[in-house]
Order: sequence, then structure tokens, then C-alpha cells
Amino acid sequence: MSEMWINMGPQHPMTHGLWNLRVRIDGEVILDVDPEMGYLHRGIEKISEDRHYNEVITLMDRTCYVAGLSWEHLYILASEQALHIQPPERAQYLRVLCEEFQRIASHLMWYAAFVQDIGLMTPFLYGMRDRDLILDLFQSYTGARMTYEYMRVGGVRNDLPPGFTDQARKVLDWLGPRFDEYDRLCLGSDIFHKRCDNLGVLKANDCVRHGVTGPMLRSAGLRRDLRKDRPYAVYDQLDFEVARADTADVTGRYLVRMEEMRQSIRILRQVLDWLDHHPGPVLAHELPRWLGAPYAPVGREGYLLKRHYPKGVGFSSIEEPHGEAQAYVVNEGGEHPYRVKFRSPVFANVSAARQYLIGYRVADIPPIMGSVDVCVGEVDR
Amino acid sequence: MQPEDLERALGPALGPTLVGVEPFVGFAGRLRFRREGALDVFRAVHGLGFAHLSLVGGIDWVDHREVFYVAWSDDARQYVLLSTEVPANDAHLESATPVWPSADWHERETWELVDISFDHHPDLRHLLTPDGYAFHPLLRSFKLHEPEELEVKTRHV
Amino acid sequence: MSNLTLYSVSFDLVDAVLSAIGSVLPAPLNAWITNADLITGLAVLVFAALLLAASMLNTIMLIWWERKLLGRFMDRRGAMHVGYAGLLQNFADGFKLFRKTTVRPREADPLGFVSGPTAYMVTSMILFGVLPISSGWNSGALPLSLLLALAIFSFAPLFIFVSAWSSNNKYSLMGGMRSAAQMIAYEVPLLLAVVAVVIVSGSFDLTTIVYEQQNYWFWGPLFVALLVFVAGMLAEMERIPFDLPEAEAELVEGWNTEYGGMLFAFFMLADYLRALIGSILVVLLFLGGWTMPTWVPSVATSFPLAGIFWFMLKTYLVFAVFIWIRASLPRVRTDQLLRVGWNRMIPLSLLSVFLAAALVTVKCLPVFGCVPSPGI
Repeated sequence: MSEMWINMGPQHPMTHGLWNLRVRIDGEVILDVDPEMGYLHRGIEKISEDRHYNEVITLMDRTCYVAGLSWEHLYILASEQALHIQPPERAQYLRVLCEEFQRIASHLMWYAAFVQDIGLMTPFLYGMRDRDLILDLFQSYTGARMTYEYMRVGGVRNDLPPGFTDQARKVLDWLGPRFDEYDRLCLGSDIFHKRCDNLGVLKANDCVRHGVTGPMLRSAGLRRDLRKDRPYAVYDQLDFEVARADTADVTGRYLVRMEEMRQSIRILRQVLDWLDHHPGPVLAHELPRWLGAPYAPVGREGYLLKRHYPKGVGFSSIEEPHGEAQAYVVNEGGEHPYRVKFRSPVFANVSAARQYLIGYRVADIPPIMGSVDVCVGEVDR
Repeated sequence: MQPEDLERALGPALGPTLVGVEPFVGFAGRLRFRREGALDVFRAVHGLGFAHLSLVGGIDWVDHREVFYVAWSDDARQYVLLSTEVPANDAHLESATPVWPSADWHERETWELVDISFDHHPDLRHLLTPDGYAFHPLLRSFKLHEPEELEVKTRHV
Repeated sequence: MSNLTLYSVSFDLVDAVLSAIGSVLPAPLNAWITNADLITGLAVLVFAALLLAASMLNTIMLIWWERKLLGRFMDRRGAMHVGYAGLLQNFADGFKLFRKTTVRPREADPLGFVSGPTAYMVTSMILFGVLPISSGWNSGALPLSLLLALAIFSFAPLFIFVSAWSSNNKYSLMGGMRSAAQMIAYEVPLLLAVVAVVIVSGSFDLTTIVYEQQNYWFWGPLFVALLVFVAGMLAEMERIPFDLPEAEAELVEGWNTEYGGMLFAFFMLADYLRALIGSILVVLLFLGGWTMPTWVPSVATSFPLAGIFWFMLKTYLVFAVFIWIRASLPRVRTDQLLRVGWNRMIPLSLLSVFLAAALVTVKCLPVFGCVPSPGI
């Protein structure tokens, strides 16, 4: 076979979403790649300009369909800074609870999809089975399994239902040993190492040059985690380690994500203990009236002018399951943000695809892209 | 790192290109510069250790457009915010890709959505919108709830 | 050894029916209907129908077995709604595929696109004509049945490549290439492993090979050959970990990307037919076929159709091992697969041939003691 371009996508089992990886190959060797995005571009940044601050939260759930709560948290942090609102402490703990559970759920989803990419079918079912337990927990206090709409500017929508913390601890007790089981299934297999070792190598230096963050960066040996480096919410009061690996390859990313899930369990136990002993309000009292109600009505234009709105710029960055997400919210007064800009970690990770794909084989594309953990909703927004 | 430190480190080298450094919550500072010497600013900021460019974005202020950059330094464990203004009728700027390769896609996105062109960008193509899409959705003049005419050209391999 | 074969049964059946009809007919018709050519022709048809029914039924049961067992490995239940424990699920699926429109891409080559899967299916089914199922039940008793079976088995890459190429799809083409490379690489060790069995048993006839195993099954003395044979069979059957020609993650099912409806069903059925035949060959060559060890109480081996029962039980258990492998191993990469094939499997299979020759020479087995072995 001579050189040819093949389209991997937009409907292809490798993509885990809707995007197109154009690959130039010679036989089985990759000569060039060109990711083609935009199939899922919904213009979330534009729609946000036309919506009430609390209505944008709905869009955040749709931005990344496997880490909705993390994106809500990101947006809420930025808009609270833009609106000069301080949430109560219990709400912050609840947000951390959401984010860490979401991290485990997202990583389990990644695990399920990634092992499927290298042909291992069984863990797919295991990953989905265990992720369901977390979705059940989400359902018990947000009412939804995927599109939560739980956080609010100034706090969260509602407190936990009675008995939640015990149920959550049971889930954590179940999950801990499962991660060891996953490790035995993957790391114990020679074929797994043959497929994943020294694959898709992206050294720390190149990661930084190309803006790659998250587990990919930490697998290259850099100890970089915004929860430690630039603590937001209440992460400075929690005790955990930053997962890290040195190999910068697919196996390294696997190890980092597995360790992150274990650290998330550690964080969650502390958060659950705190929540047990510190009841309190979950929504700030001194909210402006147009923000205060959990289901704030959409403002009508003439109605707006009579009120006083503070101006400001909000920036937040959180350690999302996929990496470092940032939000930039410009508040020019009014019920709608003037401009919202999101930085998606996967966007940057995929943009560096040339660096970690060229030279490998066609059969290596699924494990490498799987280890990047592409969430297209987040890239296209 | 404080805004004063930034000003002290960058002021002499950049001269009039640097408009000023303001404090910004959680940041080393917000650095405003003139677009004429953009590449010098990028090099100088990169030289201070801000090696990781996270974000490039554009804001349409109707009469002018703002381009902002967020960069992270691993030594200072801090972000810095760079921003510059370009006139709406002549919206172009030097590309940051020679200094930060990660600016590539962010600039493509800003070009197609906010209509700010980047000079000497290696590959300024549509990223999120289809090829030949003539609109710039993130401009204030692009109103939602109005019908738009869409002509989609797809690339075939 | 009985001479009762599936073909002789169908011949006798047709003969009896036609004679009965002929006895009540007037003279000229009587002679015509008991004509030997007509009886032979009808007997072949009945034989083919019986063969088809038996192979299809077993194939479909094999799919059910895989779905249920794989489901249990994955902590779920598999098919369970249609029929008892989902037994009829595959018939429903087959019916659905049968009703579906066959979509052929405009640019695909019509002849190759249709004939590829058909020939793949047919050649796989012919294999049943040469495999003995039990002492009293083999389709056709051939002195070189093993050789014939392996010869027909190795047709597959050609048909896969034809259908892949005529699909006019890059993924299909790559899948076809991989498939051809893989099957050719694993054909050699597979045959060499079989040579070891042939050396020890002294025959190419599968029935004889089974009877040679009445004292000791070959899996013990020829363990290396068994390993090579099973690995080679996995590659030939294109199952995980060697299913890269149809690797769904990168090649979207490889050479059958463009197929749907009944033509896809042909591929699917032929794959499981080949899996069934692979398991049968393992049982015949290494696990004693329908024979049972002498310590098994005779009540377990003397009931009617006991031979078939034990034979099918062994076959399904061997296939269960393949399912187990599928449930717990990832897929290897083409270059790794070929490297293992040429660098590891061929030396190993040569070693197994050498070991077999040594066994025959000394006429003693390390574990089983000195037993009379026919040798060459």
C-alpha cells in the first residue's frame, strides 16, 4: 500500500465522541495527523451571553457530558468572582464532594473506554458498573444522573438527603478494592504492557510547550495540580497527594489516573466527615434578589435597568478530570455575562496530537487517544 | 510575583510597548501592552518563566477588540494575564505560536469566532466552524434568534 | 470401527423411501424412481441438508454459549429474554439479519462483494463434511481427512481478502491485508503442530488419530504442540487476542466494515463455524475425541449417543477456554503478532515435532510409561 489519508471519524469507535482524526499513513505507520474538530460545536460561549448567570449552569452540564459537575464548579467560581459573591463554607465542601465524585466517575468512564480500545472487553463492563454507583449517588442529591444543574451562583441548590454520607461511604468502601482488581486485570497482563509501554510519549518539556495539562502532564513527571498549586474552594484544608508517573507514556497515564481515583477517595472521606459535623446554609444569604432564588426567573430587559449591578471580571481555573480548565467571565452589569471564555484541557491536549501520534502505528491510535481521554463536548463547546 | 515585580522586570526592555501592569485577583498581574510589539512581549514574558500558555481569547467591545492571554509559570506557581487592544476595523495581531506553540488552536478559534487575525500563524484554518463559514459568532453584532444562512463546504479525502 | 457415516445414513434413508414409493408405482416409473443416479443425487442433497442443519444449530448454540459465558465473566447475564435463558435470542437475531436489506456500496465490486462472504461461509461449512463426530457418526470417512480439513481451513484468507478488496474501503483493505498476513504467518506453526500429532498417531485419518488416543490423550505428551495449535487456532479464528484484522477500535471491524444484513450474517456465522471447527480439531487431535479414559465408569460411556455427548461436551469446554481468553486479554498489534508468529511459534512448533519424533523413537512416554505406539 502506498501513502494514503484515512478519516478516523466522525463516526469511528476510536473517537469516543464526534470528531475526525485525519491520518496519513504508509502501510501501518502514521506519517501525519490532522484533528478536525467542530462537529459538536454548539456555541456555548455565545449562548451564555444571552442567558442569566444561573441559566448558564445548564450549559455547563452539556459542555462535558462525563464531568458536568466539574464544569459547573469552574463556571460558578468565575462568575462568583465576577459578581463579588462569597459562598458559604458548607457549599464549598459540597462542591468539592461533587468534583471528586465526578473525577472518579469520569476516570471510570475513561477506564472503560480506554481498555476497550486495546481490545479488553471485560473491564468496560466493570468500569460502567462501578460508575453507575456514583451516578446513583448523584441522582440522590441532584436528581439527575448526567445533567445535574446542582450548583448555583452563591452556593448549591440543596443540601444532602438524610443518610447520604453513609451511603457514600459504602460506595467508597466498594470502590477501593475494585481499583486493585482493575490493576490486576491490566497491569498484570503482558500484552497490556506490550501495547502501552513507550507509546504516545510526550515529555514534560513538550507538554508545557504545547499546553498539555492534567494526567498527561503528570505522567511526564511534573508535579502540577491546581488543587495544590492554586487551591480553590476548600482544597487547602484537605490532605492528599498529587499522583505522578515518570514514563510519559500510555501506561504512565493509566497509573496517574488510577492513583488519582484513590486520592479522590481519600479526599472524599475527609469531606464526608466534615459534612457530617458541620451543618449550615448551602446558599449565600446576601445574594441580590435576582440571583437568590434557586430557580431564578429570566430577567426581562426593562425590568433590569432599575437595579444596581456590580461590574467585574472573574477568572477561575480548576483541576478538572481531564486537566486544567479555565473560565473567564466578564461582567459588565446586567443579568447576563458580557463574555464567557472557557479553556478546555482536552482542547489543548488534542491540539498537540502531532507530537504524540506521528511515528506510531495505526493500531496505536486508539490506545494513545484513549489515554488522552478526549471529551469532544469540551473541545468544541 | 507581584505586579510591581513584573513591571520592574519587563519595563526597561519593553519600553513604550508596555502600557501598564495592574493587580488581578489570583494572578501575578494583568499586563497591558500595545499590539505593535506583541512578539517582544511574548518573548519577555516567556523569559520570566511563564512557559505554559493556557488560554488565548478575544472579547468584542464593539469599538475595539481585546485579545487576552493567560500563561502559567511553574516556578512562581502563578498565572499572568496579558491583554492588548486591536481596532475593530483592522483586527490583526502578531501570532504567539513562535513563542508558545500551544497558541495554535486557540488563535485559530479566536480568528474564526471573534474575527481577530493572527499574522504569521502557521495554519490559520477554521477549527470549530465549517470551512467557508462567513460569520463570526462571538461578535456582538452576531445576534442569536435570527436566521442565518449557512453554506457548508466539507473536505473530502 | 464402524462404517456408518452421515452420508451412508442419508443414502440408506433415500434408498428406503424411494424403494417404498417405487413398489407402489407402475412399471416404467418404478424403474425410473429407483434409478441409482437419482438415489445418489437425492442422498447428496439430504446429506447436505443434514450437515447444514447440524452445523448451523451448533454454531448458533456456540454463539449462545459465548454470549452467556462472556456475560458471566463481565458480571452481567448475557441474553436472557427470548426463550429459556435466551436460547432463542440468536434465532431472533438471525431472523432480523435475514430480513435486512443488503446494502452494497456503489463503488464496490458486485461479484467479489457477494461471492467473498458466500465462499467463506461455504468453505467453512464443507469442513463439517470431513470431521468425525463420534465412532458411529462421521460425515465421510476419508483416509486423509485431517489434511483435507486443514486445506479447506486455509482457504479463508483468500476469500477474506477478496471481500475486503471488493468492498472498496480503506479500512476493509487494511483489515484484509492484516488478515492475510496473519493467517499465512500462523498457518505454518499450525501445520507443524499437526505434524507432531501425525507422527505420534501415524495417520492422517482423524478417526484413526482418535483411536490412537484411547490409552492416553495426546495433550500430555504433546503439550508444546497443543500450545502452538491453540495459539495458531486463535489466530486463524481471529479471536482476541489475535482479532486485529477486525479490530473494532481502529479498523471498525476491518474487512467486514461495509457488510450488513445477510452478508454480514454469513461472516458472523462462518467465524463461529470456524471457531467450532477449531474447538473440534483441538478435541480430536489432543483431547481424545469421543473416547473417555478407562477409569470413567462404563455407565457414563455406554448410554446411547454417549460418544457424541462427550465429544460435544469437550468441544464446548474447549470453546469456553477461548471465551475465557477473550474475556481477559487485550489485543496485540500486527507487528507484535507477526513477530511472535515467525520468531516464537515456528521454533516452538519445530520443537514439538522433534519431541514427537523422539517419543515415537523411544516408544516411551515420560508420564504414561511405555505403551505400544504405532510410530511411522
